Amino acid sequence: MAETTQLELVTPARVMVSKAAEMVVIPGTEGLFGVLPRHSALLASLQRGVVEVYEAGKVIDRIMIDGGLADVTPEGVTILAERAVDLSVTSSQELKERAQNAGEAEAEFLNLAAEAL
Amino acid sequence: MPNLKDLKTRINSVSSTQKITSAMKMVAAAKLRRAQEAAESGRPYAARMRSVIASLAAKADKNSASPLLVGRENVKTHLLVMMSADKGLCGGFNGSIARLARQEISRLESEGKKVQVYVVGRKAADSLGSELADKTFARIEGVQGGVIDYANAADIADKIISGFEDGSFDSVSMVYNQFVNAISQKVTHTSLIPAEVDASDADSGEAGSFYDYEPEEAEILGALLPRNLSTQIFSALLESSAAELAARMTAMDNATRNAGDMIDRLTLVYNRTRQANITKELIEIISGAEAL
Repeated sequence: MAETTQLELVTPARVMVSKAAEMVVIPGTEGLFGVLPRHSALLASLQRGVVEVYEAGKVIDRIMIDGGLADVTPEGVTILAERAVDLSVTSSQELKERAQNAGEAEAEFLNLAAEAL
Repeated sequence: MPNLKDLKTRINSVSSTQKITSAMKMVAAAKLRRAQEAAESGRPYAARMRSVIASLAAKADKNSASPLLVGRENVKTHLLVMMSADKGLCGGFNGSIARLARQEISRLESEGKKVQVYVVGRKAADSLGSELADKTFARIEGVQGGVIDYANAADIADKIISGFEDGSFDSVSMVYNQFVNAISQKVTHTSLIPAEVDASDADSGEAGSFYDYEPEEAEILGALLPRNLSTQIFSALLESSAAELAARMTAMDNATRNAGDMIDRLTLVYNRTRQANITKELIEIISGAEAL
């Protein structure tokens, strides 16, 4: 088994993802960047986009975030995001339904997430 | 001597009160479990946010740093965010918030500052009444009780930030009940602007100094401070809701027990009275028989 890095994705309400990954691709404000195990320590602000989690060379999880912050250390990466949706477990229809009941900012984000599916 | 019918009525009314309080206790207990889980699962985000802010703040240049972090030098007006419940019947929960808020207001006023109050939740404001008449900056109700939405906290924070930026006030602090455990709450007063930075939250110095920043530290800090404000308000809302339910559960438990004691006492009086009545009737019959 290849070396892994510990990914934690935390939203204000809960710890959404906590798992080991081979590589994580993160949408930084200055461009996408990939985090491999033993990455140097980095604090980056993030923009709206999709976090991709790689396992065995393939994307296994895609999580849409609405900006936030990534705290990268050699051991792992912690992403703080105000809003996040796991694109691999939700359908675009479900997201659109949620968007209808949500506030303006939330709805915009959910609709974008539905398109990103 | 109270008459039997009156006693019976009182016993009945106390026992229906007891039924209500015990139902409220059950409801609070059931909701408390969920609120407590929410408060606990909200803690990691708040804790991470605090540690990132602390380590950035330790590096930030104190002179050029954002006023959200270091505050303004000349504080003329202070905003107090007062977080209480929308509903009563939860013991000293709202009262203690109102008391602390009143103390704070008079302390600030004695320092010659003006005070504005952001009222979150109805009850403490109700008990302060006219004292808040010309001080209310904004009011929000109905955000507590059910599931707490981060968007509500963000709204409150946005309003505070825009008020701060247009100079309506120069510093902000918040009073709320912190959830300690099911039987105790802690009334807490924290400063929001300037941000309260606890040096012990900062990442240990050595690891911190090797960090790369993307973009610059100051820029990240600038983007993060408003988020930190909404995070703090959100976690206060979570704590306060859990604390409210815990307080209500305890208060209703006490009320149920008191009602039980009262029923016991009333039943005793009822039985004594009944017996006294029987004795009296017997005496009447016997003395009537003797008189013949």
